[in-house]
Amino acid sequence: MTMIRRHNQSAICMHWFNALCWLFLLGSGFALLAGEMQPIGAWWSELWVGIFGEAGLLVAHIAIGSLWAGIYALYTPLFLRRDVLPFLREIFAVSLRCDLIWCIRKAFWLVMGASGMRKIGMQTQLPAQGFYNAGQKFVAIAAIICSISLVVTGLLLAFSVMQQGLEALVRWALLLHLCCAGLMAILLPVHIYMAACAPGERPALISMLTGFVPEDFAKHHNPLWHASLVEKAGEHNRH
Amino acid sequence: MPRYRMLIDSNKCYNCGACIVGCQQRNSVPYGYRRNWVRVDADPDYGFGKGFQPGGCMQCDAPLCVEACPTQATWKGDDGVVLIDVQRCIGCGACIAACPYDARYRHPERGTVDKCDYCASSRHLGIAPACVQLCPAQVRTFGDASDPSSEVAQIAAQQTLTYVESPQSPTKPSLAFVGATTVTNWPRAAALPSPIAAMRVVATGVRYLGALSLFGVIAMFFKQILIPSDDKSGAEIHTPASGKGEKP
Repeated sequence: MTMIRRHNQSAICMHWFNALCWLFLLGSGFALLAGEMQPIGAWWSELWVGIFGEAGLLVAHIAIGSLWAGIYALYTPLFLRRDVLPFLREIFAVSLRCDLIWCIRKAFWLVMGASGMRKIGMQTQLPAQGFYNAGQKFVAIAAIICSISLVVTGLLLAFSVMQQGLEALVRWALLLHLCCAGLMAILLPVHIYMAACAPGERPALISMLTGFVPEDFAKHHNPLWHASLVEKAGEHNRH
Repeated sequence: MPRYRMLIDSNKCYNCGACIVGCQQRNSVPYGYRRNWVRVDADPDYGFGKGFQPGGCMQCDAPLCVEACPTQATWKGDDGVVLIDVQRCIGCGACIAACPYDARYRHPERGTVDKCDYCASSRHLGIAPACVQLCPAQVRTFGDASDPSSEVAQIAAQQTLTYVESPQSPTKPSLAFVGATTVTNWPRAAALPSPIAAMRVVATGVRYLGALSLFGVIAMFFKQILIPSDDKSGAEIHTPASGKGEKP
């Protein structure tokens, strides 16, 4: 079985660092909210306060948030050409019609299976995908927009206490902070399922640990990316 | 657990301001700000044609400030006092807008919200709040209302009490006036800033959509175990790369 490199070590490290930070920041952030503004419930706040203490929870949230933003602030320029720009190029290579069709058909396929789709007269064929599939691209775009908003509003919330006259701005920042965190909280279970539990996705999950995927998998799941690799290899051989 | 309460006999007040200055001194309230006040209203029934009404945080039993706070920085304690945790306060000012009595202010140096807490810093030493201690006319009575032998409990049992409450935004104030007082309709309607009101809607949306997302993928996980989507040909069918996208 021929293996193809899909992710390099720095991207793998950043993915898991990002995952751990997101889980901690979402959990602790929701626990910091009160009453009707708390999306999970009072028990969630009590659980986290029980672990970190009243003041410790906010300190831990700000500390991990700052660490997350700081590491990304270093990673982005250092790995700009190697990781960041290729990643951005891939996720923003959106073909809205094809990508929406992919998402709708994939969802129906998961719920009904190919035979069920045929029964209701739906096409089962999924549009060919590149390095990332449509679902991964949409989640990644949401994650980037939300991450930038969360860092900006988070810094404002953490440091505005020292400034007078920013109360209204702080309130809007808090609302935006919650909107972004809430959107990611809705998308993350889908992303985790599709990456780790969905049928046929195990090689993609393993590639997030080893960096490699079987060539057959790439050919089947990411045919446009596989074709571009074949084309590059052909050009290389010709030269 | 004691249940602290303050009763004010405004008829005894002659607006000397000792309560305000004493509070500012004990609680290091910055110049130009105050935790308590004496209202002066035109009232022909009182001497000099003016009525004085001392006040402060009403330590409400249904505090709108607590409901408005997005970070659990303010809460009603079991001892009946509405408190602020300055380490949790982000200074958004939602509680200031929500208080019908304007009993809160944003501390200019700390950036967090401050209000009367019945001198919490000295209360644990058994010292009465500064406004109670320093009032030469003994206008204010403070104590544990759950103790029937306390002065505050006895006055509450024996005298008629008047509550100053916003008709638009009732908050069940625990601070009360002994007998009649001057103006009682001055508290304004509480205001909840629009971003804070919107946060409630967003949180409700996140709760239900998040639950739908989470339970949806759990249901899908079990569905794939019990009834796999794979047909005889294997997994789902992708258009080959040569198709460059959706196959016609």
